[in-house]
Amino acid sequence: MKRRIKVKVNNLSKSFGTLKVLDHISFDVEEGEFLCVVGPTGCGKTTFLNSLTKLYEPTSGEILINNEPVDLKKHNVSYIFQEKSTMEWLNVEQNVGFGLDLRGIKGEEKKKAVDEMLHLVGLEEYRRYYPNEISSSMLQRVVIARAFATTPELLLMDEPYGQLDIELRFKLEDELIKLWKRTGTTIIFITHNIEEAVYMSENILVLTNKPTKIKERVVNNLPRPRNVVDRDFIKMRNRVTDLIKWW
Amino acid sequence: MIKNKTGRIFEIIFYPLVSILIFLIIWDVGVKNSELSVVMPGPWEVVSKFIQSFAVPIGKYTMVYHILYSLMRVVPAYIVGSLAGIILGILMGWYPVINRILRPLYELIRPIPPIAWIPISIVWFGIGEGSKWFLIFLAAFVPITLNAYAGATTVDETLIKCSKMLGASDGQVFKTVVLPYSVPHIFTGLQVGLSTSWATVVAAEMIRSTEGVGWIIISSMDTNNVVQSLVGIMGIGVVGFILAIVMRKIEEVLCRWNRIET
Repeated sequence: MKRRIKVKVNNLSKSFGTLKVLDHISFDVEEGEFLCVVGPTGCGKTTFLNSLTKLYEPTSGEILINNEPVDLKKHNVSYIFQEKSTMEWLNVEQNVGFGLDLRGIKGEEKKKAVDEMLHLVGLEEYRRYYPNEISSSMLQRVVIARAFATTPELLLMDEPYGQLDIELRFKLEDELIKLWKRTGTTIIFITHNIEEAVYMSENILVLTNKPTKIKERVVNNLPRPRNVVDRDFIKMRNRVTDLIKWW
Repeated sequence: MIKNKTGRIFEIIFYPLVSILIFLIIWDVGVKNSELSVVMPGPWEVVSKFIQSFAVPIGKYTMVYHILYSLMRVVPAYIVGSLAGIILGILMGWYPVINRILRPLYELIRPIPPIAWIPISIVWFGIGEGSKWFLIFLAAFVPITLNAYAGATTVDETLIKCSKMLGASDGQVFKTVVLPYSVPHIFTGLQVGLSTSWATVVAAEMIRSTEGVGWIIISSMDTNNVVQSLVGIMGIGVVGFILAIVMRKIEEVLCRWNRIET
């Protein structure tokens, strides 16, 4: 079934002085889509995401969410950064409820949302722990739970698992897929890890070197649950790898 | 676990006792074996006079009252100085315009030691408590402002972006990220400010006073009483040490998240 367009990017360009980073990028993201963005190291993936959210003002181009220019006050967009972003002075439960507090959601509604998220990411037992008391993977789960607790219409993730070891990454990838399926949130997930992109995405946007353009949008119809040693999986991974190669 | 706790208590009590004992022994040996005894009493005489001062008055009051009088001068001025320092430091750290306007003025005041303000404080506030509070206020205000400023300027950019993405207004970013993030820095300032405020009480009590630990030292000059002077110094040291421990405990409770070791 054809889904409606959630995000529309038209001719997005971003330059820093004379350095052109993004060069007339256009693409659509459908509602509830899980889109992974991959590209060579240093191609400007983070700039791409920051421009989408207007954390960087684009040099030119247009970004629409639900056919309206992106406005963070109006559109419920969550962003999971590469860097550690838990609030050290709040415990796990308070961190998960942080976005809800900012939106003035209180009482039973807040408690229900926080409890559900803690349950989904398996952190119920650790709700009173502070960030310094828990592991890196737990910290990422807190951040993910915090993002999903506000039921975002668009979730942007910038290499959130880049610093984790492979076992934890697999675990968190599965958790994210579970959350995505349950909430139907539209996700744009940036990664330099092609295997990760193939494992999770519905579509993969392959970027070129700077000035960054879209090289190809790869449709990833592999059945779920996916197996990284499956022949089709490897074929897809090799295809995306070939697209990224600039040498 | 029990062993660890016992070990910790041992560390907290044993090592400081050893260092104090070594210091007293060196002092004792130095005084007994040199001409120093002409101008310097032995440690046991000073320690014994210090203990006696809790029962035998120095001037009109015993040591406990002197300490309480000094605390009555330090505590209100310290509280006001802390509040002013925290507010100014955070505002300067977070709002560039306020920083540009007020920073030069603050930088002018910063290097001036509180003692330099004595004549002016007497002219402005008289020889009563006002001038003493003013000096102690300055002693607290300067380091606390600096630390609060450092806290607000070093807020992690990712946390600000993150709160904005979660829908925070500028005011919410300030309240929910900048302020809590600055708390450990503020406590560092409070700790330094407390020490300097307490040390400044001696200068403050140089302005006419008839009581206080500072007065004990000042009045000892009139009678050339070195033992009394050292008793006053010991009083300041002991109370300052206790105040620092109390402040550290408050910090440990309020900033539990910052003290947890991974």
